[in-house]
This record gives sequence, C-alpha cells and structure tokens, in this order.
Amino acid sequence: MKRETREYRFDWMIWSILHHAAMSTGGTRKEYERLLDLVPHFRDVLDSFIRHGEPGRLFLKLIAEYAGMCITARERGKKVALTTFCMATPLLFAFDVVPIMLEAWTVLGTIVLRRGTAEYLDYCSEVGFTETSCSAQRGALGALLAGLAVRPGFIVCDSPGICDTNANSFSFTSAYLDIPFFQLDYPPSIMDERATGYQKKDFRELIVFLEAHTGTTLDENTLREVLDEVRLQDGLASELIDLMRLKPSPVPGLFDIMLYGGRFMMNGKKIYTELLRSMLRTAQANAAAGISGTTSKRERARGLFCYIDHYTTDARFWKWMDEQDISHLGSILFTFWHSDAPYARERPGEAYHIDSSSMEAMVDTLAAQMSRMPMIKQIRGPYDAPGMWLDDLLGAVRLLKPDFVAYIGSMGCRNSWGVNKLLARDLEREGVPAVILFADAFDDRVQSWESVIDKMDEFLQLRRIGI
Amino acid sequence: MIVAGCDVGSLTSKAVILNDKTMLSHAVVRSSFRPGDSARAVMDQALDVAGLKMDEVRYCVGTGYGREKIPFVNKVYSEIACHARGARHLMPSVRTVIDIGGQDCKAIRLDDSGAVVKFVTNDKCAAGTGRFLDVMARLLGVNLDELGSLSAQAQAPLSLASTCTVWAQAEVIHHLNENTPIADIAAAVNQAMAGRVAILARSVGIDREVCMTGGVAKNTGVLTYLEKLLDVKIRRLRIDPQIVGALGAAFYAWREYRRCAG
Amino acid sequence: MMEEMREAARALYHPLVRKWKEAGKTVIGYPCTFVPEEIIHAAGMLPYRMRGIGTTSLSIGDTYFGPVICSLPKCMLQLAGEHAYGFLDGVIITNGCDSMRRLNECWRKAGEDIPGILPGYFHYFGVPHKAASYSYEWYEEEIRELIKSLEEHFGVKVTEKALRKSIRLYNESRRLLQKLDDLRSGTEARMTGEDALTVILAGSAMPREEYTALLKTLLKDLKKALPIDKGRKRLMLVGSSNDDPEFVRLIEDSGALVVADSLCFGSRSYEDLTNEEGDPVASLSRRYLNQCRCPRMFGCYQDRLSLILDKAEKARVDGVILQNIRFCDLHGSENGIFERDLEARGIPCMRMEREYGPLVETGRIRMRIDAFLERIA
Repeated sequence: MKRETREYRFDWMIWSILHHAAMSTGGTRKEYERLLDLVPHFRDVLDSFIRHGEPGRLFLKLIAEYAGMCITARERGKKVALTTFCMATPLLFAFDVVPIMLEAWTVLGTIVLRRGTAEYLDYCSEVGFTETSCSAQRGALGALLAGLAVRPGFIVCDSPGICDTNANSFSFTSAYLDIPFFQLDYPPSIMDERATGYQKKDFRELIVFLEAHTGTTLDENTLREVLDEVRLQDGLASELIDLMRLKPSPVPGLFDIMLYGGRFMMNGKKIYTELLRSMLRTAQANAAAGISGTTSKRERARGLFCYIDHYTTDARFWKWMDEQDISHLGSILFTFWHSDAPYARERPGEAYHIDSSSMEAMVDTLAAQMSRMPMIKQIRGPYDAPGMWLDDLLGAVRLLKPDFVAYIGSMGCRNSWGVNKLLARDLEREGVPAVILFADAFDDRVQSWESVIDKMDEFLQLRRIGI
Repeated sequence: MIVAGCDVGSLTSKAVILNDKTMLSHAVVRSSFRPGDSARAVMDQALDVAGLKMDEVRYCVGTGYGREKIPFVNKVYSEIACHARGARHLMPSVRTVIDIGGQDCKAIRLDDSGAVVKFVTNDKCAAGTGRFLDVMARLLGVNLDELGSLSAQAQAPLSLASTCTVWAQAEVIHHLNENTPIADIAAAVNQAMAGRVAILARSVGIDREVCMTGGVAKNTGVLTYLEKLLDVKIRRLRIDPQIVGALGAAFYAWREYRRCAG
Repeated sequence: MMEEMREAARALYHPLVRKWKEAGKTVIGYPCTFVPEEIIHAAGMLPYRMRGIGTTSLSIGDTYFGPVICSLPKCMLQLAGEHAYGFLDGVIITNGCDSMRRLNECWRKAGEDIPGILPGYFHYFGVPHKAASYSYEWYEEEIRELIKSLEEHFGVKVTEKALRKSIRLYNESRRLLQKLDDLRSGTEARMTGEDALTVILAGSAMPREEYTALLKTLLKDLKKALPIDKGRKRLMLVGSSNDDPEFVRLIEDSGALVVADSLCFGSRSYEDLTNEEGDPVASLSRRYLNQCRCPRMFGCYQDRLSLILDKAEKARVDGVILQNIRFCDLHGSENGIFERDLEARGIPCMRMEREYGPLVETGRIRMRIDAFLERIA
C-alpha cells in the first residue's frame, strides 16, 4: 500500500464522497451541473444516480446514511459488528448493532474510487491472506487489516455451509485481529424439517452471542417495529418485481442494485421503504406510459444475471446495459424469498412468512428470513437439488422471460465456478442463451472492463439477441 | 587463490571469477536446453577474459535453475542464498533484495548479519517475471533493453487493467490497434510489472536498504515505478545486476575453500 | 511389508483391492476425512479414500469444473471420467470444502456424457462447520441416513455389534499409527516422512484387518531399525492435501527429514479416537465433528495453532513448511497467520503454494526448500 493511501481512512474517505454527493442534489439543475465540474473524480458515479431522479437521490442518501452510521458508530456508543451482505439486518438493527458489511464497503470503494480497491485487495495478500480469495470481501478487508476502517467489536457471519471463501475471510479476520467470532452454519438442504430445526437452534445461539456482546436483550416491541417495516418493504419489492415481468420492463436497470443494495444495508429502516416507494412510483409511471425503464424508453433485449453484477468504476455496468437498451431483470442477489414475492408464489414451501404474533414467532421468522437470503438459500446444496440454484434460476427465467442469462462472479468463487458450466448447459437446453464471463466483479485487473463488454457484444451478436 | 561462481538460469547463464575477494572477470551467455553445456560455455568465456584455465579454479559453487546439472562444481547453493550473498557484498547495508529473473521473482529479507530471515517467491505464472516483459516487448516490437527507457518518453502513460499476462496481451493489442504511442503502452507494461512485484516485496516486509538484482533491474521504468510504489529508494548496484547470483556463488566458493583448506 | 504398503499407495486399483473385488465384495469411495469409515466397514464394505494420482491431462476435469478450482477434485473427476474408478461400487461426496462438494454435480453431469463412470450408489453427506450440540445431532442423523441408504441399496445390514467391532478395529489401527508417529518424531527418528506417508496412504485404501496386521509387524521391525535423522534438519509439513510421497522425498532429498505433519492425508486421519462406550453413532459423531484440525471448521484457529505448537515442540522441529494447493483459501490464508504466529515464537516457516497433480516443477520447489534449509542451518 502506498504511503498516501495509508494517510486516508478508507471508510471516512468514501463516506465523505457519498455524503457530499448526496447533498449536491439540493440545488438547481444549473448549480448541480456547475458542481459536477468541481468533482471530476466522482462526477460519473454521481451522475449515474442523479440522472434517475428522486429514486437515485434517495439511494445516494441511503448509502451516505449507511456509511455515516458505520463510521460514527463507536463515537455514538453503538456496538459494531463485522458481517457479510447475506446476513439480514433486521435482527442486528433490533439489537441496535451497526453492521459493517465487507461486500457493501468493497462495492462502495470499487464504484467510487478511481482505481477501485486495488491497493486494499493487494494489502490482504501482503499480510498473508490468499490472493485467490474472493475480492468481494478482500477489497474492504484490506482497509480493515491496515487499520484504515472502524474496528468491529465482534464478527458475525452466516456463510459457513454456503461459501467457504466468504466464511474463511471472517474466520481469518477473527484470528488475525483477535476479535470474537460467531458463525451461523447452514445444512445442505432447506425445505426439510431437519434443516429448519437446525437453523432455528443455530439462530438462537446467535441471539445468545449478540446478547453477550451487546449487553442487552432483544426487545419485543423494537423487534416488532422492525418486522412491520420489513413486511412493508417486502410488499413494495414484490410489486416492483411484478412490474419487471411486463414487456417492455418499465423498471430502470439501476433499480436492480438499488433494490438489493438498499436492502442489504437498510432492511427494516424507514429510508429503504421510502426508496422502494419512490422506485415503484417511477416504474408505475413508465408502465402506465407503456415505455421501457431505459433512458431511450426502448427495450432491445432482456437480460438476467444468474449470479451477481459487475461493480467496478462509476456503476458503468448498469450504464452500459442502459445504453444498449437492455432491461436488467436482476440477479440472484435480487431474491429474498418473502412469501408474496412473485418468484415465491408457486413455491410457498421455500419462502418465509412474517409472523409477529409472539417473540418466539418473530425469532423463527428472522431465522427463516436469514436462511433465505441471496446465496444462503440456493448455494448450499447440489445446484440441481430441489429449491437450489437451478430451480431458482429456471423459476426466474419463466417469470421474467429474459432473452439471455449471463454469469459474472469473482475469481474467488469456488462454488459458482464449480457448477456454472453445468448451469449454462441446462439453460441452453431450456432454450435460453447463456454466457459465462471471465470477469471479476470487484477487480478490473482480472479482466478489463473493455474485454468484458467485448465479450458481451460478441455474445449478443453471435446469438442474434436484440437484433 | 582463484574461485568461481556459476549461475545457470532459465534464460541466461552467468559466471564470476574471483581472485580471493577481487573480481577478475564475469560473463553472461544465453542458456541452451542443456544446463551442463550452458555452464561450460559461460565458464569458458569468463576464464578466457581472465586469462585463466579451468584447472586453476580451486573451488566452484553452482546455483540457479540448472545447478544440479553443472558437472564441474564442488558444491551448490540456492539462488536465494547467492543473490543475498552477492548483494550483501556489493552493499553491506542491504536488508531487502528483490530479484527478478526470467521465470520467477524473489523477495529476500536479510538481518544485520546478512543472514536470510525471510523470502518469498512468485512462481505461479509469468506475471511479475522477466517473461512478462519479454512477451510484451515482443508484442510492442521493441528491444527488451529499450522497454525500460521508453517509460521516460511517455507523454500520457496508460495503465493496464490486467496483471495476467494473457489478458494484458489482449489489452496491449487493443491499444496498438488504437494507435496509442508505443512509449505510453511501454510505461503501462512497466507499471503493471512493478505493481505485481510490489505485492511480493511487501509481503516479505521492506527494510532499508533495498536493492534489486536480476536482469529486470536494468529496466529503469520498472525500477522507478517500484520506488514510487514501495515509497523507498532502490539502490543501484555497481555491477551488472544479472551477475549478482554468480558473484554470491563465487563468495561462497571462497568461503568453502578457505574452510576446507584451513 | 513396506513393499505391500508401497503397492497400495502407488496405484488406485492395487492388488489388495483387486482381491477384494474378486471375492465379490463392495468398495465405497469417499474424498475427505470427515466421512466415517467405520460405517462403511461395518456394512462389510471396503472404505476407500479417493485420490487424484496418475493423471496426465485434465481434459475431463476442466470440462465440468471452472478454472479457479482446486486441482485435487479435478484430478479425481479426470480419473473417474477415464474409468479409473470403475471398481468403486459407490461414492460418498461430502462438503469438506467447496471445490470438493462440487465434485458431486460435476461427476453426475460427466456421467450423463460418458456412460458407465457414475457408480450406482452416489450419496451426499452433509457435515456441519461447527461443533455445537445440535451439530452433533445433525451428524448423527446424517450417519443414520447413510446407514439406511447403504442398507437399502446394497441389501446389507449394519448391526450395532458390527459397528462396535469396526470402531474398536479403527481405534486399534489409529493407536498403532500414533505409535508410528512416536518412532518418526522421537529423538531418534526411524522412518522417513516419505515412508510414513506411504504407510498412511496404504491404510486409506486397503482392508483394515490386513492393514492392522501389517502395521504391527512394521512397528516391531522399526523398533529395531537404526536412527536415520543424524545431520538432517527436522521439518513439519502442514496444510492441505498431499498424497504424493515423492513430494516428501523431494524435501527429504535436500537433507531434511519430515518428522511430523498436520495434513489431510496424514496425521489428521488418526489423531483422534472414538469412544468405545455408549451409543456408537453418537460416539462417531463426536469423533468426526470434534476434530478441529481442518480449517473447514471455522473459528477454531487457536486450537489448531496449539496443536501445531505442541507437535512442533514434541517432535523438536527445526522448521515448518506451510503448503497449500492453489485456490485453497482455507489452508492458504491460515498458513499466513501460522507463519506470523510460529515465526514470532522462533519457529522458522516457509509458505508454499502448489498445484495438486504430477510433480513437474521440481526444480523450483527444490530451490525453495534448499533456500529454507540454508536459512535454518
């Protein structure tokens, strides 16, 4: 890590950019355009969100708030947990714990910083962590290991049984920095009683751990309030996904990351509800006008991403999709499996149901919700077992009718690189063109962005998609 | 007393002849497929320069990739030990040695007494080795020796997104097709190389003074970027950085001979 | 008797397996130390730990697995695809790690393309990543399901009596292996690391009764053998799977002796014993899940560090080689902390990342081992 990089705290630097970006929307259009000239390093990312009007501004506000909550947590006397994106926030919020999600911070870094998180990624290797480990964690982890981010009081992750490299990065951090560690460990199946029973017991252990490390107990009223908000958010998300089924899809592509990003960071908080409502209004207006959510209002093709998106520099992945007039129909990070979600309607056994009638019922709800988070639900068992990755993907294909499915992941992903060729083959057999991109969603140095879009272009041309 | 060090690497073979602790001559030749032949050829050349014959050499230490196959050596040492020993002789205050050869890259940390306390090597792929520069120079149509100085001529240096040799090649071709000036691409190549080496160097821990050995040390572009990345001055050695391993081997030969004789 | 061991360690379908098959008996393959061999044994079958030796290409492995996957399961799939595992009547795949657990899907899908490579019995065995009371229960249920499926598929019966007998037999052979460890790591080492690995490998692929008998003879002979450690540096080998005695020989040829290990194909398979009292399934669950020796058991770094420190002290090692197969983040990154913590205690370490498969890069590996030995000289 260069000396000048060491001089700035990673998290404060990002927060400062986001905070000022979020404030920039207060003035007139002219003022805003003048301002863009003053912020050459992040004008593109700022503009990608601002161009989307109110929902974009709200999203900027949400991530600035999330970042602010994280960096000031200790000063405000809050407990800080290091955690992962697929750990649902409602339980942590009910404990008034601030969740620092490595992947969320990595993505903020890769989107906002000009050279992405390259130096932080490499810093991990310098202290002994493997360079083959997933870049989703390594980006922000490098900053933490270098002492350039808030030091958490404890670590909670729910990736054991799902993703080794994710779980390992938390287990490594715990050993390296000597921080208390708790893992939620998942069995290889989801719908059977054995699995449910295991998850419930494990989840109660998590509560015991949180009680011990926060010095508080779970308050029934707070929990109910959070869950009521979650119920509201689930309903709004369902409406939004329903709209996506229309042809053309009235939902702008960037709403994809806003929907799941907002949820990862702020599920159960009012600001996320506000964001969802705003997104829904835009999408409904587009639907009423019969236009696509793309800037040109046209839909050339519909694309579904079977794993994750591509997060580097200025959110240019979504921008590229938009310029190509391709509707983004989401990725598996999109699915949370609330019982009213369009993809869950015909598969109620796989979804969670919110029951806030009693403390016990609420804890069970949270356990069920956690176990159905993106990745946690479908990556645990063989990809073609009931309720796993293939089922979910084929379900989404039938629901949203994409013209193609693309795989983007990270070089650290043993799980998806262990079966993505099989998945692509199954999709092709279903008649859906599928492409595997050899890119790293968080590190441009693996394959440059130019090569990524070259491959995409080539694929679309060869398969005559949207032509 | 005449002793010698012979370093048979994957791309080049090097020999150094000492009279006691004074260097009489050295030689560098391209390695052939037979390490024994390369060793013989480079030794003959070095002996020739010094005006000596093989039987006048009292003790010879071999090192390098082909060290086990050198017929005339009395003992072998690893390249790590030899590069450390050679660098230490040239610069007694050295604590970190970065050696970039044709096929691998090593970072070595020494203590005050000159003993190796930690080393790491990168031998997973061509990225971060001399081979990377070799491939890129060929692609750019420039001489390997020119590649380094081209950095200084860059008007608008690019940066390569990929560090993988295969992907970086695709990028370089892309830039060539766009008619980007060669110097700007060369700067990117040198910078990518330095970036890869810096990770390795930092994982061994940088202590001053730092010096660089091996053929790539002649590339001023890589050297300058590396200094910037590591935020440390890399000291230039007084001799051809390629022969430091052979020099170290020759000093081991001197020590071994004294030990045997005394 | 070492020759018999070598034969069993060298080839997949070695004479003792052939004999077993010719007697009409069943062989069940498994890939990881977290699968309870005793169950397979008690069903009257031969538990056979699968390996990836002898591959010359990865044309099949790379067709199904992606590029960033550990080469061990890839080699296993390659062998399966080449019909080299045709002698297996069944296979149990476990989620030992992510690369390994995807062998389940890749093998099944390869079986759709290449007829005859998928055994009739193909079972998935889910192992928790923590040792809590409910994880033990999960593992017990997993064992009971395994028993049930073996019984149903092969028309056999796993009786409690047979299971107790198997547990006793495995305990006995594990105790013998522990004694072998003493002879290997004692003040006067009597066996090379290369031979020790050969002995352990043989045990993973031959009938346990015969193996136990061979071990007894071997131990008797070794007690009379001359010490071989004079002038050699004593090393410990730590990290991910290594089933290649030649890799150990490469280290020992440089003038070292591998006197101890904490490896997957190595001491991990015999350091813990099963309680012979009480419910045998519950005892096996405790035996297998309570071993924290593999970093797949998350959050137990300190336990693993203590185990290594104890062993390093007992075996009086001069240095530790921390190796891992590329793309094994579990061992790879833990090796990074081991290096920090062992060096801080004055134990020299060397980290090494390598590929599983035929030993090709011997020159570079040798160079690093030589440099390490020079460093600790």
